[in-house]
Amino acid sequence: MASIEMSGVRKEFGATVALADLHLTVRAGELVCLLGPSGCGKTTALRLLAGFERPDAGRILVDGGDVTAVPPRRRGFGMVFQEYSLFPTMTARANIEFGLRVRRAGARERAATVDRLLEVTRLEPHADKYPHQMSGGQKQRVALARAIATQPRLLLLDEPLSALDAQVREHLRDEIRRLQQEVGVTTVLVTHDQHEAMAIADRVAVLRDGVVEQVDAPRTLYARPATPFVAEFVGTTNRLPARVDGGRWHVLGTPVEVVGPDPTGTDAPRTAVAVVRPEQVGVSRAVVAGAVGGTVVGMSFLGALTRVTLELPVEGRVVADLLGEAADALAVGAAVSVSVRPGAGAVVLR
Amino acid sequence: MFLAAVGLFFALPQLAMARFAFQNVPVVHLDLSTLGTGWSVARLGEALAEPGLWEAARTSAVLATLAVLLNLVLLLPLAVLAEVRAPWLRPVLTGVTLLPWVVPPIALVVGVAATFRPLAPWFLSSPLSLVPFYALWAMPFTYRALDAGLRAVGARTLVEAARSLGASWPTTFRRVVAPATSASVVAACGLTAALVLGEFAFASLLLKDTLPTYLVVYQRSAPQAGMALALAVMVLTALALGGVVHLLRRRGLGVTTSGI
Repeated sequence: MASIEMSGVRKEFGATVALADLHLTVRAGELVCLLGPSGCGKTTALRLLAGFERPDAGRILVDGGDVTAVPPRRRGFGMVFQEYSLFPTMTARANIEFGLRVRRAGARERAATVDRLLEVTRLEPHADKYPHQMSGGQKQRVALARAIATQPRLLLLDEPLSALDAQVREHLRDEIRRLQQEVGVTTVLVTHDQHEAMAIADRVAVLRDGVVEQVDAPRTLYARPATPFVAEFVGTTNRLPARVDGGRWHVLGTPVEVVGPDPTGTDAPRTAVAVVRPEQVGVSRAVVAGAVGGTVVGMSFLGALTRVTLELPVEGRVVADLLGEAADALAVGAAVSVSVRPGAGAVVLR
Repeated sequence: MFLAAVGLFFALPQLAMARFAFQNVPVVHLDLSTLGTGWSVARLGEALAEPGLWEAARTSAVLATLAVLLNLVLLLPLAVLAEVRAPWLRPVLTGVTLLPWVVPPIALVVGVAATFRPLAPWFLSSPLSLVPFYALWAMPFTYRALDAGLRAVGARTLVEAARSLGASWPTTFRRVVAPATSASVVAACGLTAALVLGEFAFASLLLKDTLPTYLVVYQRSAPQAGMALALAVMVLTALALGGVVHLLRRRGLGVTTSGI
């Protein structure tokens, strides 16, 4: 298990700045997801870690040792690629064995390792198949087994699930997590899928325009996003007007706890935009003091929750996620009172 | 409908060639009653019995093999480099490999002959002097076949996967890139060989006896046997290429010629 530190890392491709000033620490044995929209620099960060690119500035440390200039083959990292990248002329067994073979591991050690990994990844029936004879999920499991066969110090996963269909993706996601915990390897996973990141990671680093906006545990990231970008990127949000009243911020007539710089000082603006999650929005058929009146314009059944779309006179469209019983009392066209639920967490101001 | 028209466009001349070569019925006497009569492969037998044929075929086979090897040695490393490490090289190679087609064979031969005759006359006297011409002439096809194959297998990520697993460059090339791109190498070899086996202008201008020049000369003295021989060469070449492609596909290595 290795700890990683990327400090002041910068990478440019021509006139494009892929990473502006990246600081990221990954603790030993941890699984960290790099999450962000396309072009935010997350894949570049992973390729720099792997050694396929050299940073223009900054350092990459593994267990305190500088690996910035170390070529990929000497870093001792395992990597899983989005498009599997299995060697097409080798069977699943030979693919898994490849890293051990180039490291000149003994035949007995190779066979034992490959057999164990085939068992762990439930690939025994497919051991002698070539990549073109396997499904996407099987291929990615082979790629995963191949990457961990050499007992890497760090496992790098570049959107490993994005080429798979939803059901396989969910199954393999759990399998990656199980394997990572079993092997105990420090892992960095790149994804643009927030659900994937939240489900699998110990911590999530949200990237935007080549810098890390926030690194935190999934629950903290969701409940206390550091910036409006993080709030909007992680989960669904409503953007609602907020104003100061009696020294406190109010949204939909309700006093709220806020995250981020609190501009209630003397020179601060008296209004702002609040980023409010659907589950923070309360909807009631009864008239609630201080709440805003609105109309239900749509309802979508999401299983345990029902997503209710509301039309408010000033704020416009707002979505609220309600539990079954609360939603049962509503119907499209119904007049309702809309507020921010007290105790449903902080809202973010921008 | 369009495909049927295209098919006919290609098939009709071949069928006419086959009829001329293998049916001993003059075209003025050809009708429904004579369509099934007079077919024979005797002309092909006569053509195959000519000793000059085998000498010319051997020369062409040697030239094709050497041209293929020369092109692979020149272009495979460059194509891999362009795919894996230097994408900027791809448009350069695409342009450079097309250059030989800008110069007509006659100009190329005259230019090269004028240069080499005083400096190295032995070069032009040997049939092997055709090898560089053929290699140059086949370059656009060879390079595009290699480039298409490298892109189809995702050579860049294969290399990165192998490197991250600890493989050196030679090991990566020998154990990963070369086997994975064998289909496109075969496609490149096939295209180069087919071009060499059908090339007439350079050999004729340099007064060399290759299979195409032999066929032209032989056809003047024995038109039917010459036609039968030309058809046989064409069918054999197609069967050989088809057989190799089939074998590669059974191993999951699709031959791609996109971009050619």
